[in-house]
Amino acid sequence: MSTFVTLCSILLTVGAYMLSRLVARKYPSPFTTPVFFSTALIITVLLILGLSFEQYKPGKEIMTFFLGPATVALAVPLYKNRQLVVTYSIPAAAGIVIGALATTLSAVLIGLLFRLPHDVVASLGVKSVTVPIALEITALIGGNPTLSAAFVVLTGTLGTMIGPWLLKRSGITSSFAYGLAMGVVSHGQGTAQAATENELAGAVAGVAMGLTAIVTSIILPTLIPHIL
Amino acid sequence: MKVLFFVCQLVGLWVLNELGYFITERLHLPFPGNVMGLLLLFILLVTGVIKLAWIESAASFLIRHLAFFFIPVAVGLMEVGGLLVMNGVAIMTSLVVSAVVGLLVTSGLSQLLERRKERANEHIRNTM
Repeated sequence: MSTFVTLCSILLTVGAYMLSRLVARKYPSPFTTPVFFSTALIITVLLILGLSFEQYKPGKEIMTFFLGPATVALAVPLYKNRQLVVTYSIPAAAGIVIGALATTLSAVLIGLLFRLPHDVVASLGVKSVTVPIALEITALIGGNPTLSAAFVVLTGTLGTMIGPWLLKRSGITSSFAYGLAMGVVSHGQGTAQAATENELAGAVAGVAMGLTAIVTSIILPTLIPHIL
Repeated sequence: MKVLFFVCQLVGLWVLNELGYFITERLHLPFPGNVMGLLLLFILLVTGVIKLAWIESAASFLIRHLAFFFIPVAVGLMEVGGLLVMNGVAIMTSLVVSAVVGLLVTSGLSQLLERRKERANEHIRNTM
């Protein structure tokens, strides 16, 4: 019985993902991004069938097996665009380090201001890093992995909704600066958004996403114990 | 044959990931093993130990479908729905404000430095 449920949850997830890609291509909108759309669809189906997350979990473990290797794979775009990184090394490094610090610290400070529980605040700290890395940092700093993943996904979606609008209105004309900001703040989803608008911005965003993950994973485990 | 090559590439990425975890655990490094794996692959590519063609198709496949891995994790939202409803305003304020701050600081600073660098290059060209 449980093997059957596991198999069904995998089929449901793969099906929802494939459907969401079709829908996103036909009706591009922040609400049809694969993660948002598929997750909403799967939760709805599980609730209708009366299944709990506990029953979905074994399938989740199987499906996320390649998260680690997928992170390792991010070395490929980094390697392909290494020339770009070298040329703009100073503005890129400054933007990534200061930007990652600004987004992380402001999230944590607002969380503390609202007196949110500490594990929630720790999870807010990792929200600008792509999921596989966010989960690892969470384990190191004592956050809640489910919340971290939720915040990462929400941040990605928010960035793709706010970013293009905000940056164009605040006088950002450089594709390089635009891509960098999208990658630093909104990781994979921001990178995908930047890539649809401009090839250079997409490449820069991909590099920024990878480097932000590295910078954040070094900064946070050393910084968080002092703040919380 | 092509499928076998692809599977080998996946196994290779998995081995690098495991190696990354092994190294960070052994050296007690305070950062994730998979990031160590990323750095290892990058170094191996730069030094030419691993050729791009050996891992490129599996790597780009995984990156293209990176969003898929977020989904099962995000379904976990089911478990924390109550907490999100209770602290919704605080959490959304934190997420929205920090996204705006991050976007403006990153793009503003890098555009400023990029312009300055371009101006410096022009200056060098003009004086030559």
